[in-house]
Amino acid sequence: MSFLTPLFFLGVAALAAPILVHLVRRTRARKVQFPALVFVRQVPQRTIRRRTLQNVFLLLLRCLAILLIVIAFTRPFFSGGSAAKQSTGAGATVILVDNSLSMRREPLFSEALKRAETAVDDARNDEQIALLTFDKRYAVINRFTADKSRLRTVMRTLSAGWDGTDYEQALRGAESLLGEIETSGPKRIVMISDFQQPGWAQNTATFKLANSTELLPMDVTGNDPVPNIAITNVEARGVVFGQKYLDNLAVHVSNFSDTPRDHIQVDFQINEQTVEKRDISLNSRDTKVIEFTGFNLNEGANRCTIDIVSSDFAPDNRFYFTLRRETPAKALIVESASRGQSDSLHLQSALTTNDDLPFTFTLKSTGSVDPTSIPEYALVVLNDAGPISSGLAGALTKFVEAGGQMIVSTGPRTTTDDLNSNLQRIMPATLREAVQTKAGESVAITNVKFDHPIFEVFQESGRLAAAHVIGYFRSEPGATSTVLARYEDGSPALVESRTGKGRVMLFTSSLGPSWNDLPLTPLYLPFIHQMVRYAGAREENPWYGLGETFTVRKEANGQPPAVDTPAGARLSEARNTPDGDLLVTAREPGFYRLRYSSQPGFAAVDSDGAEGDFTKLNFGEFISGVTGGAGAAEGTAASRNASGEEVEGRQRVWWSLLLAALLLLVAESVLARRTKMVKMVG
Amino acid sequence: MSGLHRSPYTGFSTEFTEYRQYNQGDDLRYLDWRLLGRTDRYFIKKYRADTNTQCHILIDTSASMNYAHTTSVTKFQYAQFLAGSLAYLLNRQQDAVGLVAFSQDVHTHVPARNRTGHMRTIFGTLSLLEPGGETRLAESLHKLAEILTRRGIVVIVSDFYDQPERLKEAFQHLRFKGHDLVAFHVLDQNELDFQFDDPVLLLEDAETQEQMPVLPDVVMAGYRERMRRHVEEMRECAAANHVDYELLTTKQPLDFALFSFLSRRAGK
Repeated sequence: MSFLTPLFFLGVAALAAPILVHLVRRTRARKVQFPALVFVRQVPQRTIRRRTLQNVFLLLLRCLAILLIVIAFTRPFFSGGSAAKQSTGAGATVILVDNSLSMRREPLFSEALKRAETAVDDARNDEQIALLTFDKRYAVINRFTADKSRLRTVMRTLSAGWDGTDYEQALRGAESLLGEIETSGPKRIVMISDFQQPGWAQNTATFKLANSTELLPMDVTGNDPVPNIAITNVEARGVVFGQKYLDNLAVHVSNFSDTPRDHIQVDFQINEQTVEKRDISLNSRDTKVIEFTGFNLNEGANRCTIDIVSSDFAPDNRFYFTLRRETPAKALIVESASRGQSDSLHLQSALTTNDDLPFTFTLKSTGSVDPTSIPEYALVVLNDAGPISSGLAGALTKFVEAGGQMIVSTGPRTTTDDLNSNLQRIMPATLREAVQTKAGESVAITNVKFDHPIFEVFQESGRLAAAHVIGYFRSEPGATSTVLARYEDGSPALVESRTGKGRVMLFTSSLGPSWNDLPLTPLYLPFIHQMVRYAGAREENPWYGLGETFTVRKEANGQPPAVDTPAGARLSEARNTPDGDLLVTAREPGFYRLRYSSQPGFAAVDSDGAEGDFTKLNFGEFISGVTGGAGAAEGTAASRNASGEEVEGRQRVWWSLLLAALLLLVAESVLARRTKMVKMVG
Repeated sequence: MSGLHRSPYTGFSTEFTEYRQYNQGDDLRYLDWRLLGRTDRYFIKKYRADTNTQCHILIDTSASMNYAHTTSVTKFQYAQFLAGSLAYLLNRQQDAVGLVAFSQDVHTHVPARNRTGHMRTIFGTLSLLEPGGETRLAESLHKLAEILTRRGIVVIVSDFYDQPERLKEAFQHLRFKGHDLVAFHVLDQNELDFQFDDPVLLLEDAETQEQMPVLPDVVMAGYRERMRRHVEEMRECAAANHVDYELLTTKQPLDFALFSFLSRRAGK
C-alpha cells in the first residue's frame, strides 16, 4: 500500500486526544449514603466490570475512527507490482510519451520521462520495448529493443513539442508497431500523458486496440483542474491591397476554466507596435470573439500578434499572424466598340468602389487594345466585347497559358463563332445559341456551387437566385471545365477552366444590365468582387497551424529564399515544388522569416488553440472506447502501472475509510449514549 | 372521638351486647329480672366493657432511618411524627401509651401510662431520639416480647431492613404474647425507585459505612425487583401473622397515612 500524502500521518498525534480525555476525565463518583445497600449488593457486579470494558471499547472505537480519518487523509492506494514483472513470458511494450504543447507545463514532461524510465526499469530484461513520442502525429524514437540503457539514453534527448494531441493517432502508431513484432508474451502499450480531453474525439473515434493488446495509461498530472486562457483562433484576410484593413479581424479568446475571469487585457500589435488594447471579461468555459478593424498596414508583410496578459500557461497567450499589403496588379476591361452606352458602366463602378481589390482596372474597346500590351496585365475581362481580332485572340491565348487570368462575359454583341474559333484553346465552354426569354419571363441562376470561393459568401443567404436573367447563351462545357452555376434549364451560367498556368471564367449572360437585372441587385457588387478576387488568386493564409506545410514562392531569379525558423535557425529540411517554390513544414510557433532579396516576407505559425484546454478526459470512457468496451477491467489492470494519483483517484480507498470512520463514530455515539461515558473510579 | 380501637375484652358495662342463658354460678346482679318476670326464663345480660388498653409504639432509630432523598424529611423524622400522632390519639381515648426506641438494642423505654402529662414525656423522649447504629430488628422485637408482659397493641415504625424470615419469628413471638401488631413500613420513595441522575455513585451503607461503586442505570432494574420482592415478602409475612401492615413513603402526607390506616382499623 502506498500513500499520496503521507505527511498527514502527523495527524496520528490526534490519537492522544481521546486517550488523554479517557485518562484525565475519569468520572468521579459522588458519595451518597444509602440505607438499602443490601439490595444493591445483590445486583451482579459484573455489569460494572463490563461497563469498564465498554469504556475501553469506546476508547478503542474513538482511536480507531481517528486513525481511519488520518489514513483517509493520506490517500492510500494499492499500487501492486509491475505488470511486466508479473507476466510469465517476455512480451513487447510500446512506450508512448506525450510531447505535445500541453506537456510543456512544468514539470510534466520531465515527470513523463521519469515514468517512462520506470516502465523500462520495471520491464523484464528480455522484454522488447519501443519508444514513441506523440502529439497530433507520432514519431518512432526507438524501435523494439531489449537494450534498456539505450532506451534511457534516447529518452534524455526528448523534449516537449508545440503541437496538439491526438491519442487515437498515437495508439494507431503503437498498434502498428506492435504488429511488426512476433512475440509469445503479452503486448502492451504504456501511454504517458496529461490526458487532455481535446486529444480524444470520443464521438468520431473509430480506432480500437486489438484484444491482445493491453493499454496501461499513466497520468502525469493531478486531478485538480488547471485554469487557462488561450487565444484559439484569428480570422483575417491575409492579403490586402489598401492602406487600411477594412474587414473585421476576429480574435477568439477562450476561458478553459470553471471560474469567470475579468479584466483580461488583449493587446494587438503590428510589427511590434501596439495598435489597440482591449479589456475583456470571460465567463467560465466561454469563448469571446474580439474584432479589430480600420487599422493601417505598411506595404509588404506585416507581423501581427495578439497577446493576452495572463499568468497561466504562456505559450497560448500569444497568437501570430501576418497581414500582407500588396500593390494592386493591372487589369484590362475590354468592351465592344459598337456600344451605344458603355455596357461596362456597372462593372467599372463595381470595381472602382473598393480600393481593396487586387487590381486596378483600365477600360478599353476591342479595337483599341494593343495585343502586345496584354502581358502587362494580370487580368483581362472581355465584357460583351464583340468580335475579336485574331491578333488579340492569340495574345490572349498566350496570356492565359502563361498564367494570366481572364473573365469572359457575353451579351447582345457577342458573336459565338468568333469566340469559339479564335479563343477555342482557352474558352471553358463552346457557346451555342442565344436564348431570350419571353417578355415578362426570366430564369434564375440555380444549382450554384456554394463551396467555391466565388459563391461561398452567398452560401448562407442563397439570394443569388433573386437575379432575373432574360438572355444567355447555351453552352457546352469543355472536358476539363467546371460548371460553377447553372440556369433553371440546366444550361451553364458560370464555367471555369484552367489552361496552361492561367484560368478563364465564362459567364454566359451579361455583366451589364442587357440580359439580366443582376447589376441592379445588391448581389452584383459581392459577386463581381468575389470573381475578381478569385481571379487575382493572391489570397494567402494569415497563419498556419503547427504541422502544416506552406509554400514559399521563389524569387524572380527562380531561387527560393532562405528561411529562418522562429528560433532564428536557418531552415534546412525544406523541399521544393516542381515549380521551384519552397515547401516548409511548420514545426514551431512564431514567425518564419522568408529572406527575399527585395524585402523580407514572413509566415506565421501557431499552435493548436485547443491544446490550452487542460480538462481531463474521462478515463473510463477513453479506456472503454479504445479497448472496445472492456474498459473497466482493463482500466483496473492499467491502474497498476498508472500514476499514484490516478490509481488513488480510481480506487478511492479514502472514501471507504471515511465511511468506516463515520460508522465507527456513529457506533461510538450510540454506545457512549448508552453507557454515559463512564470511567469507574478506583 | 371514641378511640382508635375497640377493646379486646368484653365485660360488664353500659353497652349491651347480647343475652346468654343463665348458668349456675353467674352473678345474679346481671340477671335480667324483667325478662324473668315476663317470660319466667333466666337470662344474663352481657355488656361490652369500655376498657383502657396498653399501646406501645416501637420506633426504629437505626442509622438507616436517617435517609431522605425524595423529600427533606428523613424517614426517622417521619417516624417521629407518626409515633407522636399515634401517641396523641391513643392518649386522647384514655389508652395507656408507651414508647420503645431501638436500633441494635432497645435503648429507650417509656412505660405505658395514661395519666395527665404523660404525653409530655412521650413527646420529650421522641424529640430526644437520634438515629444511629445498626438495625437488629428481629432481636429487638424478641426482647420486647419478653419485656411487654401485659398484652396490648404494639405499633412498630421501621424501615424493616431485616430478613422477613427472622421478622416472621419475631412477629409470631409477639402474637404469642397476645399483642395486637401494627407495622408501619416507612421508606423514602427513592428506596423504591432507585432514581439517581448521576451516571455513577459511590453508595455508602448508612449503618456499616461500607462503600460500593454503583451505576444506577445498570443497577436500577435489579434493585427495584429486589425491593419489590422484599416489600411483598413483608406484606405476606404480616398477613400470615395477622399484623396490620402499612407501607408509607415519606412523601405521603402524614394525615393521609393515618387516615388510611385508621380506616382499615375501624372494623377491628
